[in-house]
Amino acid sequence: MTSNSEAGAAAAPRRILVVDDSSLVRLYYRAALEKAGFAVDQAINGIEAMEKCLVERFDLVIVDVNMPRMDGLSFLRALRGSAPEIASLPALMISTEAGQQDRDDARAAGANFYLVKPVSEADLLSHVALLAGAP
Amino acid sequence: MPLIRRDDNKTAAPREPVADAAALTAALGDPDPDRRWRAARSLGSDAGAVPALAAALAAEQLPQVREAIMTALLRIGDAGAVAALLPSLRAQDAALRASAIEALQAMPEATLPFMTALFADADSDVRILATELVRNMPAETATPLLCDLLAHEPHPNVCAAAIDVLAEVGTPAAIPALQACASRFAEVSFLRFVVAVAIDQISGAEH
Repeated sequence: MTSNSEAGAAAAPRRILVVDDSSLVRLYYRAALEKAGFAVDQAINGIEAMEKCLVERFDLVIVDVNMPRMDGLSFLRALRGSAPEIASLPALMISTEAGQQDRDDARAAGANFYLVKPVSEADLLSHVALLAGAP
Repeated sequence: MPLIRRDDNKTAAPREPVADAAALTAALGDPDPDRRWRAARSLGSDAGAVPALAAALAAEQLPQVREAIMTALLRIGDAGAVAALLPSLRAQDAALRASAIEALQAMPEATLPFMTALFADADSDVRILATELVRNMPAETATPLLCDLLAHEPHPNVCAAAIDVLAEVGTPAAIPALQACASRFAEVSFLRFVVAVAIDQISGAEH
């Protein structure tokens, strides 16, 4: 599990990248996560997320499946095939797709956890805490 | 990953039957992916090729060739082309679903007659993806379509998808439907949140 804040900036909050093409979903996650003390950045598809991961450090990525240009599964496969310092970034996949095949596809692509929308604030924060620790 | 350039329509050849349509149609099943790709690219001006393109799309595994087939269907742009693209909304492959949405969004007039059936589909995932097809339609068309969906839709995720599109393209006429949806799903905090934001955005867009 990546832990960027351990090396020096003890007071810096954990950074989470939210990747979803819905601006409303991004706002919902952002409000919940910032209220809990996390720092949040966002991307609207897998390409933008990959670009951010290559130049910035995050403690967790929350990613949707269905997105234009690059979907969440393709993004996770690209992430897991990247340089070691970002390939192990924990990933929470949150999608409307509720089938077993969808969960299996997510795991195979590299998701650590898979949640089905709509996700309550409590569910979101408990899974974020499991993967990224306390803010 | 597969991208369909929206300006392809502008550079499309005149819609005349291509001279060697039978050979091109046969080439859609060629073992050589380059031949399949070239055949698909060449059939984008031939509405008679839609059945062959639809069959090829269902069988094709290579993303580059699938993209060429979808681009050909987009260039043809009629109801047959829409019908050929719709099965891809049910694909297990997320990239294929995304490409189909992108192509269908680029042909809103041809897609419009299919919306009632899509919003009544038994599969909630199809209804969710169908809301994206309204995003490029005029606000006066999109708003009543999505409000009707909100009034009857039992699945909160479909409502959330519709609300997301309404927040971007909806008119103030959508506000009562949004408020009713929030009341109907009062126990779903996420829906209450997105309805409030959508109403703010729609109201703000008016000022």
